[in-house]
Amino acid sequence: MCRYRKTTRYVSILMTIILGLMFMPVQSVFAAMVGTEAVLGHAEMQSAREKVRVFLDRRDVQDVLTSQGIDPAEARARVDSLSDAEVQAIVDRIDGLPAGGDLLGPLLLIAVVFFVVLIVLDLTGVTDIFTFIHPPEK
Amino acid sequence: MLLLGFLFNLLAGCATFRQMEMPSLPEGLPASHELTEVPFFSQEKYQCGPAALAMAISWSGLPARSEDLVPEVYTPSRKGSLQVAIIAAARRHGRLAYEISDLESLFPEIAAGYPVIILQNLGVSWFPVWHYAVVVGYDAARQEVMLRSGTTFRKIMPFGVFEKTWARSNYWGIIILQPTQLPALPEEKAYLSAVLGLEKAHRFEAAVSGYRTALTRWPQSLAARMGLGNSYYAFGDLENSEYAFRETIRLHPRAGSAYNNLAQILMERGRYAEAREMARKAVSLGGPLQAVYRQTLKEIESKMSQ
Repeated sequence: MCRYRKTTRYVSILMTIILGLMFMPVQSVFAAMVGTEAVLGHAEMQSAREKVRVFLDRRDVQDVLTSQGIDPAEARARVDSLSDAEVQAIVDRIDGLPAGGDLLGPLLLIAVVFFVVLIVLDLTGVTDIFTFIHPPEK
Repeated sequence: MLLLGFLFNLLAGCATFRQMEMPSLPEGLPASHELTEVPFFSQEKYQCGPAALAMAISWSGLPARSEDLVPEVYTPSRKGSLQVAIIAAARRHGRLAYEISDLESLFPEIAAGYPVIILQNLGVSWFPVWHYAVVVGYDAARQEVMLRSGTTFRKIMPFGVFEKTWARSNYWGIIILQPTQLPALPEEKAYLSAVLGLEKAHRFEAAVSGYRTALTRWPQSLAARMGLGNSYYAFGDLENSEYAFRETIRLHPRAGSAYNNLAQILMERGRYAEAREMARKAVSLGGPLQAVYRQTLKEIESKMSQ
């Protein structure tokens, strides 16, 4: 076990050096202009966050949150502290919601709100369901 | 092979007991529409990809022949064409490949005059028969879709069958646009990704045109403004590039990357004091790209001390 660790250590140091050498010259050449791709990715993320915010502002969503004893403003604050990948995970769920008012709609809505509620609970340290969420250090 | 696929398809149809109806057309859309003038290239064996692309590119106003596109699109070992290869080929010809991925987008685009290249699986999931075709028309009353497909100039497909074969590619489709055109249902992210593709393919003048088109629709878009500046820069038009980044800063005063890029251009134009001011501004705004901004500032300062 110990030996294995040692090997891993060497490999990781080696990898760091190799990667460093690989990317160093690239960086010094391209440090100047920021490509459109970087900005587009960022804009994408902004729109994902905006989507979650709009979702949490919905009246029906707020009703569900309130009935669960969660302050919608608090929920919003928590979502703001999520990383990009986590926000994307929520957005993927929201996108799955049908726009129409059929029977499936409210059911899915509750499922999504439930998901958000669980994330909020995880964040506040009440539950520990999603491994990717770490409650804020107190 | 095709016949076998068709038989499997029938079986699958029986198994699911599902017959999709055409989605209700948005208001203002004609109940039926067909782009009868879309040219037709009959496909050689396995080469539906180049044929479909040639039809769409020709329709977009750029004469193209199926056989000329074969080397750009066709992968002999796979006996077919990959989706990314089709997209890349469109870009190399200076055309926007705008992706669509749902049923609802299809008919509005056709009604707007844009045929849609789609990927169908004419077989079933465990026995796929992949095929590219071009949708050129629809008829809601008859529940039919018209395609340029394979060796058939005008193939009529019942909507239920069409939907099933298309659904197996997750409704993958592209429309080929001139960079001055917007699709009927333009989505900002999808459109900008398509224009970014032109930039990546080094078709900078087409990219400039695409970003300008995007700005007519989304005048505030940060990515479109940055892309415009970057594309001008890429073909050496520093003056227009500078102007584009100044506009970006005017509308997005907190966009560090715009200050950074403007600083770089000003440095290249020998206006070091101005450049340093912009680079400092970028560094003070911070963000994930701060290391790049610092590098820019360092470069400017070293030029000034020479």
